[in-house]
Amino acid sequence: MEDPNSTSQLPLPPPLSGKAEVVKLPLRDRPSLALKNKVGRAQSKKPTSLWYAVYFPQLAELSESQQDEQLNVLAALLENISATVSFHPQALICEIRSSLKYFGGIEAIHNKLKGPLAEQLKQLALPEYFLYAACPTVTGSLLLARSGHNGLIYQQDNLRSALGQLSTDVLNLNKEQNRRLYNMGIRHLRDIWRLPTSDLYKRFGSDFINLLHRALNLAPEPTRNYVPPPAFSTTYDLPYEIDSLDRLLPVADEMLEQLSEFLQRRDLCTSHLLFLLKHEKRSSTVINMSLRQPSRSSKHLLMLLGTHFSNLTIPAPVIAAKIKVKKFDAFITNSESLLSEDKSTKKQYSDNNLNQFMEQLKAKLGGHFVNSIKTIAEHCPEYATQQMTYEKMEKIEKPYGVGQELKKNPISPRPLFLLEKPEQLVLRNGKLYHRKSIEIISGPERIETYWWSGTDVRRDYYVALEQNGSRLWIYRERSGENNWYLHGYFA
Amino acid sequence: MKSYSESSAKAPEPLFNRAYSHADVGNQDNIAGSPSIDELLNHNANLWRGCDMAGQGIHGRSTGYPQLDSILPGRGWPQKGLIEIISPQWGMGELQLLIPLMRSVIEQGHWILWVSPPHLLYAPALVQAGISTDQVLVVNLETSCKDALWSIEKALQTNNCGLVLAWQTWLPGKVLRRLQLAAETGGTLGVLFKHRDSKYSQSKMRLQIKGFPPQAGSFNKAEVTIIKARGNFQPLTTQLELYRHHSQHTA
Repeated sequence: MEDPNSTSQLPLPPPLSGKAEVVKLPLRDRPSLALKNKVGRAQSKKPTSLWYAVYFPQLAELSESQQDEQLNVLAALLENISATVSFHPQALICEIRSSLKYFGGIEAIHNKLKGPLAEQLKQLALPEYFLYAACPTVTGSLLLARSGHNGLIYQQDNLRSALGQLSTDVLNLNKEQNRRLYNMGIRHLRDIWRLPTSDLYKRFGSDFINLLHRALNLAPEPTRNYVPPPAFSTTYDLPYEIDSLDRLLPVADEMLEQLSEFLQRRDLCTSHLLFLLKHEKRSSTVINMSLRQPSRSSKHLLMLLGTHFSNLTIPAPVIAAKIKVKKFDAFITNSESLLSEDKSTKKQYSDNNLNQFMEQLKAKLGGHFVNSIKTIAEHCPEYATQQMTYEKMEKIEKPYGVGQELKKNPISPRPLFLLEKPEQLVLRNGKLYHRKSIEIISGPERIETYWWSGTDVRRDYYVALEQNGSRLWIYRERSGENNWYLHGYFA
Repeated sequence: MKSYSESSAKAPEPLFNRAYSHADVGNQDNIAGSPSIDELLNHNANLWRGCDMAGQGIHGRSTGYPQLDSILPGRGWPQKGLIEIISPQWGMGELQLLIPLMRSVIEQGHWILWVSPPHLLYAPALVQAGISTDQVLVVNLETSCKDALWSIEKALQTNNCGLVLAWQTWLPGKVLRRLQLAAETGGTLGVLFKHRDSKYSQSKMRLQIKGFPPQAGSFNKAEVTIIKARGNFQPLTTQLELYRHHSQHTA
């Protein structure tokens, strides 16, 4: 295996490759704790990290969100090399010192990445090239990669001289700062090294100084590591075929238990998962479970699954079952009140319980059979109420002050039951008939609206009593044939 | 479906029933004189006098109509169980009877489930009656009978539905018995609306509401007959004035 500290075979431009020398600090010479402020930390970190940067200049043309997306895809490839991948503008940087031995040198790592990266770029319809560099600091490797030299520096001692060669363009400064640097006669980073820090600080600000310090490993470089998106899928091959879904429930229970454990470890919930039943020589049956509220309780999921099972007839015996999570959500808990159990927390609790019940209802009946209702400020009676399926209900954050406007200006009584289609009444000898004769009690209440649309609504509403004691809400059209209609029951 | 045996589920009740009715008829003074029994009768809904009218216990939920309270055992609707309201036609005020109850259910943070109402439930009317539509759920009329029954049973079993209203014209005794048990376990009140009464119904309470023809009374009047209720042994009738709550609320 190749010694990582030898630079002889590396594809590097000669001026940049530093001398191969391991600087080991003798134990007794280690700086005392009091001195450990800057230098100490930097030196103790030295043997541990080597940062490999991959820079994609072609991403600069894309929008920021697109860049993030592409980098996310590319980061997954770097995950094969290192556990610590971090995002930078148009670049990905990972730590490779710890995996040098395993992969057999930096060249092996580079060769391992080259192919897949190019392929991925091709898939993303981007030009298939990228720049890379490695050095002991994150910022340093980023600067090196930007310079396009594809450099490699193993030793921190060589960092200053290697970075000094770079032009100031790699710093990605703004126009004004670039102009100022230019006017000061500074073309390369090494020109900056010569200037006193305090004056640079005055002229260019702390960000600039921080950047340089980080590149030289004089300041800490916090990085946020890439975390691959969670994925969960588990399959259970049944030892024998099962015809009855009831006997599948213990298996499902175990699988859901696994899922719930996975979610708990990651502090996640799920709101959409698939349960697949595989059959021999047939496409598998898919149970699509979307939840109203994200959950990770295996008990709740099992109950839902049981409800789905009760509705399902399987075309063939089941040979395997599979769970796949489609959507993960962050886990949010409700804090419980310590002292008194006030009304709102009670309501919250019952809401949670109710959500479970509603999910079960939905699973059994189908989404559009369970509705919630709400009022709409509207004059035309049939448009003043709305039925909503409960997915929609979820989307509306809080039903806005239900019927506030109606309460403010009290209108004449409305019936609890409204006929979907008004029923025409019979007028005989000046008397109205539904099933029996009708007598008008109060009214009229005139409603005229929708004249702007094709369906003109011009009605006189009356409250009426039928001979058998039924209270009715009837109206007379004020256009056309002046017919009478039954529109509701005061139940 | 499990078979619920009549005797195992209801074993203690007929026993108490008989014991008290005999004792009551025989030496009323002894029983009435003992404070502990009075206490028991007042606070335990499972204990009632067979031959005594309403007004003994106060374990019911007030209906909001004093005249109706006075003829109901426990002075109000039972806390749990199945009630049948028989209304020969819709529009007799059958829902009006329950408006105060619905309001208290909503106030407690519970939900009301309406299972297949015969017509569109009209939201503005609910708001007028002071019932927030946030906690109202409706199962459509198009739902199959089997699914509707399933949802009634499940809703009665869970304790977050405070009230389940269902419109089912005819249900076999076995189903009613099952719903009754579900309501007892969930501690929920279920109300079935019907057009016609059946003598053999298993429900805890059956009452009939009738409106008056236009000539006879005012628009607001209705007549309620309690056909059967645990603790009442003969039908009782009273006349109510509906929409009183409604007008109070809007005022």
